[in-house]
Amino acid sequence: MKRADAPTIAEFRAEIRAWLDAHDDELAPRYAPPGTLDDRVAQMQRVKSILFDAHWMRYGWPERVGGLGGSPMLRTELGASLAARDYVDPGSFSLIEVLAPTLIDYARPELAAEVVPRLLAGTEMWCQGFSEPGSGSDLGSLACRAEPDGDAQSASSWIINGQKVWTSLAQYSDRCVLLTRTGPAESRHRGITAFFVDMDTPGITVAPIEMINGEREFTEVFFDDVVVPADRILGEVDGGWAVAMSILPYERSSCFWQRIAYLYRRLERAMASAECNDRNAAIVGGAFVQLHALRARSRATQHRLATGATLGAETSIDKVLVATAEHATYDAVRQLRPGVIELGDDLDATAWRAEYVYSRAATIYGGTAEVQRNIIARRLLELGDED
Amino acid sequence: MDAAERELLAATVHAALADADGRADDVLADLGWLDILAAEPDDAIAVVFGALGRTGRSASALDDVLAAALGRAPSAGLAVVLPAYEHSDPPARRGLATARVEDATELCVVTRDATTTGVTVVAMPAVSVTPIHGIDPELGLHRVEIDADAPPEKIAADRWDDAVAQGRRALAHQIAGACHAMLDLARTHAVERVQFGRPIARFQAMRHRLAEALVAVDALEATLAVAADEPNPMTAALAKATAGRTARTVARQCQQVLAGIGFTTDHPFHRFYKRTVALEGLFGSAETIELDLGRELLAVRHVPTLIEL
Repeated sequence: MKRADAPTIAEFRAEIRAWLDAHDDELAPRYAPPGTLDDRVAQMQRVKSILFDAHWMRYGWPERVGGLGGSPMLRTELGASLAARDYVDPGSFSLIEVLAPTLIDYARPELAAEVVPRLLAGTEMWCQGFSEPGSGSDLGSLACRAEPDGDAQSASSWIINGQKVWTSLAQYSDRCVLLTRTGPAESRHRGITAFFVDMDTPGITVAPIEMINGEREFTEVFFDDVVVPADRILGEVDGGWAVAMSILPYERSSCFWQRIAYLYRRLERAMASAECNDRNAAIVGGAFVQLHALRARSRATQHRLATGATLGAETSIDKVLVATAEHATYDAVRQLRPGVIELGDDLDATAWRAEYVYSRAATIYGGTAEVQRNIIARRLLELGDED
Repeated sequence: MDAAERELLAATVHAALADADGRADDVLADLGWLDILAAEPDDAIAVVFGALGRTGRSASALDDVLAAALGRAPSAGLAVVLPAYEHSDPPARRGLATARVEDATELCVVTRDATTTGVTVVAMPAVSVTPIHGIDPELGLHRVEIDADAPPEKIAADRWDDAVAQGRRALAHQIAGACHAMLDLARTHAVERVQFGRPIARFQAMRHRLAEALVAVDALEATLAVAADEPNPMTAALAKATAGRTARTVARQCQQVLAGIGFTTDHPFHRFYKRTVALEGLFGSAETIELDLGRELLAVRHVPTLIEL
């Protein structure tokens, strides 16, 4: 559907939910959950394609990249509705929120106009090449090297050498938003440049890593004399830190809201077959209280963003709450279904086990709980420098 | 009331309560508490109970909040019987009361049997009153037992549920205020206290404890904002349960940062700590409320999201 004005959030929410209800047959996965990673990636792309054709996927994005305009909260509502119905995995789906805005804000306008619609429509997948074996929490130490083929300001291409790790879904990706070292090693965050790299460029090798839950969602990506045109630089040469940091407001608002919708759904599903007794009531009630506090906080954060506030260190509070609530939700899942995660061998148990084990990463990815607490201590509590 | 007006009111109430030598009830009366409660109940409760929590003062404003919710005209002469500790059912013949019960002329009590919820206003001679000292004697709680058999006036059952919700919101604001006070005290101590040749605030172990406390306090504030935006028994219950969890987190982290001095009565920490411990069980602690909420959710197999963007 297409309409003259962008809808309000409430209108959009009502309309999208009604539309999803009416199209459940079309959108529901065509495999028995959990399916393989191949199944889930194909499902996500299929859902994006259906929603793009029906225009839902275009609300909240600027018109110059094929969107229909309106508040970014419209796309948050869409993602949350999809996660709450198990149509897509919110972790993979909400990668759009950290990748597309980067292109919109920092790529050449023609490049953004060409590629962003493909990401939204599910005809392409992109990945995010940030972490390295030697650069986890300390992103400013990254070493994957980009050298200009000639003078830095006039070079028509750059040559990239190095390695990335924990790159989600790189084996499925057509492009990569890549952070590279362009200054001297000691230049830290001042000498980083962001590139938009085609993953079929010669010299790129992707090696999936088996995770603790048996999945192969993460990869190592190797760059061996990979030649990238200079017009694929995002932002300024040596200006990559700003590009990396610009993701934060989207990650800490829209992505979190989608994750929260997913966690509510998880708790609901786990208690579907749980016995009604006081033990289980206490477990459900405890998780519910923590989820509600998180949802309340996240809503306030997004309303601040929508009224033009710049999100900063205070979103570290949101990040700690999301991670804590995710642990609490899956602890509740495990307690509500004793023996399923630990001993179950059927498809259902396999799916819950994979999710449960993955949930332990919530305090690690996207900035560890310790890094968040350091930020809270220095910036919000103003405790000064640490030893 | 817009945000600026609310901040101004909060600053005024806080300053008056922090400076006053007199009874907190008199201070609030001078500030026009009952008028503000009638005109802007949500803001009045947030500001006054937040300030009571932050200053550690105790007043009997809870009686006014409950009286108004039960459809009675609040006044200094009217006390309201609170449910027994860790309960939220109508108190009937036995319950708790604030310090107002010492001077009140009338007592409002809600009863409930299998079919009917009712409210009775009884004259004070028909009530036996025993002061409670407990962990926080300054809170001024009392035990009350009603000897009269006045016939109750029937009220809608959800009137009591609304009163519980208002009571929980007020107490959650008071606990939040006390949590802010504990965190402020611990932060100041961490910055000023020198060990191993440097302020202990420079040690990551201390910083992370204080950060945990701030995360909990900010989450509580968010649930309080929701309880005001979407007022209903469930959002109030969630705020009160979060208050209970937060109080324990903040007390545990701050007490550890304050270490020895936090264990003395020379330092004010103990007053806020004891206040939150005593307040937690009024209208139910986190565990009690979570059990009720969990039963409610399990009965319908649904987790309500309650708030939208």
